[in-house]
Amino acid sequence: MELHVERDVVFPAEPDEVWEALTDPERLEEWFATEVELDARPGGEGIFRWGDGEERRAVVREAEPEERLVLDWEDGGEVVLELEEVDGGTLVRVTETSPDFAAALELHALAWARPRCAGTRYRSFA
Amino acid sequence: MDAVFDALGDPGRRALVASVADRGTATATELAAELPVTRQAVAKQLGALADAGLLRATRIGRETRYAVTPRPLGDAAAWLVEMGGRWDDRLAALGRSLARARAAR
Repeated sequence: MELHVERDVVFPAEPDEVWEALTDPERLEEWFATEVELDARPGGEGIFRWGDGEERRAVVREAEPEERLVLDWEDGGEVVLELEEVDGGTLVRVTETSPDFAAALELHALAWARPRCAGTRYRSFA
Repeated sequence: MDAVFDALGDPGRRALVASVADRGTATATELAAELPVTRQAVAKQLGALADAGLLRATRIGRETRYAVTPRPLGDAAAWLVEMGGRWDDRLAALGRSLARARAAR
C-alpha cells in the first residue's frame, strides 16, 4: 500500500527562478531542509538534514530543467516536483509517495510491542 | 484504502486525527471545546474518520470515545498527516524564498 501527498501551488515567479530554488542546495536550505547536499542531475545524490537530527538520502531519478525533478528516497518513497508556466507565474505540483506500508507490515509487527519505535518520524503519533 | 484518502483529504479532518492521537482518546465534546466549531460538526467528522477505519469508536454511556486505529493503518494515517503538514510548511517557505530572491535582483 502506497500513499500520496499532493500539492499544487502557483508562485509569482518564472520557471527558471523556481527551478533554481528547487535544485540549488543553498536555496533548498531556505525552504526544504536545514542542511542540503544535492547534485541535481540524473544519478546524482542528495542528502537532507533537519534540525531535529533527521536525515534522508535520495538519488535523482529525473532532472528536466524547469520542468520536472524526481527523487527516489532510500526508504523506498519518492517525490516528484513538476513545473508548469501558467498565468501569473509557475505552477509547482508536488507529489510525495510513501514507502510501501504493506511491505513494511512485518517491521511494524516487530515494533508493535514497543510503545514507541526508535527513530520513528511519526512524531505526532507517539 | 480509497476511504482513507477521502477521509484525510480535508485539512480539518487531518487535524482532528492528529488531536485524537495527541490525546490518546477523545470525545467530540472534548475536541469541540478547543475548536471554533460545534460539537455536532466535530462528531460528524469523527464519524466519517471512524467509517474510513482511521479512528476506533467506543461508546461509553452517552458519549462516543475515539482513538487512532492501531498500526499499520495508524502509520499510514500518521504519514499522511505528517507529510501533508510538512509540504504545506515547505511550500510556504519556498514562496518566501522566491520573493526574497526576486527582491534581491
